[in-house]
Amino acid sequence: MSRVVVIGAGLAGLVAANRLADTGCDVVLLHQGLGGLQSGQGTIDIFGYNPGRVTNPIKAVAAETRRRVPAGSLSHPYKALGVKAVRVGVEYLKQVLPELLVGSVESNYQLPTAVGAIRPTCLAQPSMVAGDVAADLELAIVGFEQLKDFNPELVAQNLNRTELAGGGRVNARHLLLEFRARQGPLGSPREGELDSSALSYARAFDDRRYRVLFAKTLAPKLAQGETVGLPAVLGLQDPNAWADLAELLGHAVFEIPLPPPSVPGIRLNQALTARALSLGVRTVPGVRVLGFAVEAGRVVSVRTQPGVATRDYRGAAFVLATGGFEAGGLAMDSYGSITETLFELPLVGLQNQSLQADYWGDQPLFNCGLQVDAQLRPIGASGEPVYANLHAVGGILAGSSGWRDKSGDGVAVASAVAAADAIAKELA
Amino acid sequence: MRRLTVDVVVIGGGSTGAGVIRDVAMRGYRAVLVERADLGQGTTGRFHGLLHSGGRYVVSDPESARECAAENAILTRIQAGAIESTGGYFVTCPGDDPGFAEQFLAGAKASGVQAREVGVAEALRNEPRLNPGILRAIEVADGAVDGWQLVWGAANSAREYGAEILTYHQVTKIETANGQVRAVHCRDLKGDQDVQINCDFVLNCAGAWAGQIATMAGAHPVEVVAGRGIMIAMNHRLTNRVLNRLVYPTDGDILVPAHTVSIIGTTDVLAHDPDDLEIPSAEVQQLLDAGEVLIPGFRDTRALHAWAGVRPLIKDDRVGAADTRHMSRGMAVIDHTLRDDLEGMLTIGGGKLTTYRLMAEHIVDKMCRKRGETRPCRTAEEEVPKAGAGHSHRVTDRLAAREADRADDQLVCECELVSRKMFVDALVAQPQASFDDLRRQLRLGMGPCQGGFCTLRATGIAVSEGNLDAERATELLRLFLANRWIGLWPILHGQQVRQAALDSWIFQGTLDVEHLPNPEVAVTR
Repeated sequence: MSRVVVIGAGLAGLVAANRLADTGCDVVLLHQGLGGLQSGQGTIDIFGYNPGRVTNPIKAVAAETRRRVPAGSLSHPYKALGVKAVRVGVEYLKQVLPELLVGSVESNYQLPTAVGAIRPTCLAQPSMVAGDVAADLELAIVGFEQLKDFNPELVAQNLNRTELAGGGRVNARHLLLEFRARQGPLGSPREGELDSSALSYARAFDDRRYRVLFAKTLAPKLAQGETVGLPAVLGLQDPNAWADLAELLGHAVFEIPLPPPSVPGIRLNQALTARALSLGVRTVPGVRVLGFAVEAGRVVSVRTQPGVATRDYRGAAFVLATGGFEAGGLAMDSYGSITETLFELPLVGLQNQSLQADYWGDQPLFNCGLQVDAQLRPIGASGEPVYANLHAVGGILAGSSGWRDKSGDGVAVASAVAAADAIAKELA
Repeated sequence: MRRLTVDVVVIGGGSTGAGVIRDVAMRGYRAVLVERADLGQGTTGRFHGLLHSGGRYVVSDPESARECAAENAILTRIQAGAIESTGGYFVTCPGDDPGFAEQFLAGAKASGVQAREVGVAEALRNEPRLNPGILRAIEVADGAVDGWQLVWGAANSAREYGAEILTYHQVTKIETANGQVRAVHCRDLKGDQDVQINCDFVLNCAGAWAGQIATMAGAHPVEVVAGRGIMIAMNHRLTNRVLNRLVYPTDGDILVPAHTVSIIGTTDVLAHDPDDLEIPSAEVQQLLDAGEVLIPGFRDTRALHAWAGVRPLIKDDRVGAADTRHMSRGMAVIDHTLRDDLEGMLTIGGGKLTTYRLMAEHIVDKMCRKRGETRPCRTAEEEVPKAGAGHSHRVTDRLAAREADRADDQLVCECELVSRKMFVDALVAQPQASFDDLRRQLRLGMGPCQGGFCTLRATGIAVSEGNLDAERATELLRLFLANRWIGLWPILHGQQVRQAALDSWIFQGTLDVEHLPNPEVAVTR
């Protein structure tokens, strides 16, 4: 059985590890931090804006693959990946996370955000889809006084002033509840926690008694037929907490993703990690890859230093899933020199003026990254792979800022599955 | 149209104007201060936060040195809440002339600036990150001062004496009749109305903009030589004390620990427009190199934010020695009576934040003489009113406050320990404030995440408790992010790139703020 080393435990790294394990590879997953899923919105974006609002993401991907790119400009990673890779990747993810992701590559949900914008996304968690906006949808946006990252009044007001893409508006009102995630001990002068995180609420909602109590508090305040929007804190471990709450309330319920820490993102992370572990993937958390060895144009091992001693991980193939600047896969030093931090791979998209003054404009810095061949191997100027068995996936690929066009997850999943399949074929 | 009648109108809400309004109010004049933006939004808020001991000038400008030493002691007494007496070192770095220390010590003695040479080993014990190759070290009484707290303190003191402070009031016209100032006309930019302030005296404290104001009164052009300097805030306090290069004053020779950061400054380049100040990458590199000399490894510490300020030096060939009193190099009062046949206006330029009180004393003394009145200055004798809770300069005071109320209040900004109550109180007191206005008073969004986590919370609170509708609150959020970016992109490197990317994932990725509906009229303040 061939050993494959995956570096990085964001969406791309976790999907690659699962896919490789499915094909019978012996997978080691090295990761330094918790992975980017915990900081994201917990849905799967394929294409949200291109540049207008996208309703059919796979069609937008197809259009992107056909787009002529002027010489010297970067093309979107989808152009190299192709439509099929996106379909295969997304289908795979839906298949491995059937309880957590629903939707179709043919259409985007349009879901409210925690500032009250309406955001397109392709696959959502079942707990979110009742928020897919439609004209005249009656919404009660509910928040907690003790949860500062979600203000229901702001969300409701912004939703109300937004004309929907298909015309019309939702009709939203807000409720701010005094309902604590953590109560003080009985008889204690402390009245419980005033400044609770999303995680504290999510853990509380895992407990059915808490849900019952909450439903008793909220239900009398709701009007007939209202759909209830809540911050995305409806359970961390119990995937049916939201459905149970909806039943207790007698109303449709949906979750709205929050800034980090992201409870829906943690759910995805936990599910993908648990699945990988169940398939025999060995995860090594808390390590940074510090060096590597090459023989005859192939990477043979990577070096970590978990303590005083170093430790080498040998492999027949390596998957680089260390992400972009936000994750540490790419870095820029004080002289403006930009590097891929692990293998010092050649980058594309470097410009003299990599940042510009307009905050809302495109920042070329965040589009630079690796260029890869059909097997997702980073290539140099010659077009040849730098190392015959090194593959790169996810946010480290050049050509897009996923937060702008809402394509980061699609690129991660499509590239991870494509790389895993190329490796499996090669090693077979 | 709103009409007011006072004795004196002070134009400019920087440190000079705030010092002047306090002084005139304490001397019993009815006075109004008008400022086109927020208090301390110009030069006052865009410097390195150094409260001079005078050491910087003992060789180059002994008169300034003497003034700084005296004013440092006065301000530390009357505005303790705005000042942190960190102490400072002047250090001879490798390659610098060790003999300069003798000139420095002699100059310090002559100008009454406290200075004491300490051993290199002692200096390195006290400042472990200091370049171990330093050759000499001299201890002085430098400190850190928060320009905004200083200005707000003076303004609040003036209010207690009956003065009115009108921010976001832009002067549109200075009315004169028969060679005498009669009124100042303003536009209230937030209240959207015209304001006429009848007066018989105008004190022009507009700093780098003083020339524009003088022209409005029909005076001959006053040439303001605007010297632009950039500053960079580095994360954490890298040193305990202010560090200065023991050399003749030059670029990038000062590092000031202030609040939760350390500020390195500064450069000096002629600027043509004080409203359009760039932060050129060559100057950023120059400061990082200079920091590396003081603190090895400086480039690998985290740069958070940069800004540019402009020194308001007045150059005026029309004025002879007879009619301008040079109180020191850098501080000058222009008397428009002799120069322009205009009664009732004085213009002040130059100076330093450390000597802002003294500048005010000088210009108000001059006004009193011109009015034929004897009203002595009392600003050095009386403390400014104590700042409110959470308004102290010292970061440790905020920590102590959080210890006390950690179970009773939420934190809006974890980086700078801004509690919900602090934010709500400021918002209620200033319902028209932008988040940037509140930031200057609270330090909201000025820490490592540069608004990544607090801005959404602030927006929500503004809607729930600040009586703002979601449209305005959302526009303030966008404006805040865009304004933070102005000082971020020129210095973005290292860990701060990572932060900027994470912040983009939050605001654009998760929240999609860029796709909320745009208002019909852009919100700019």
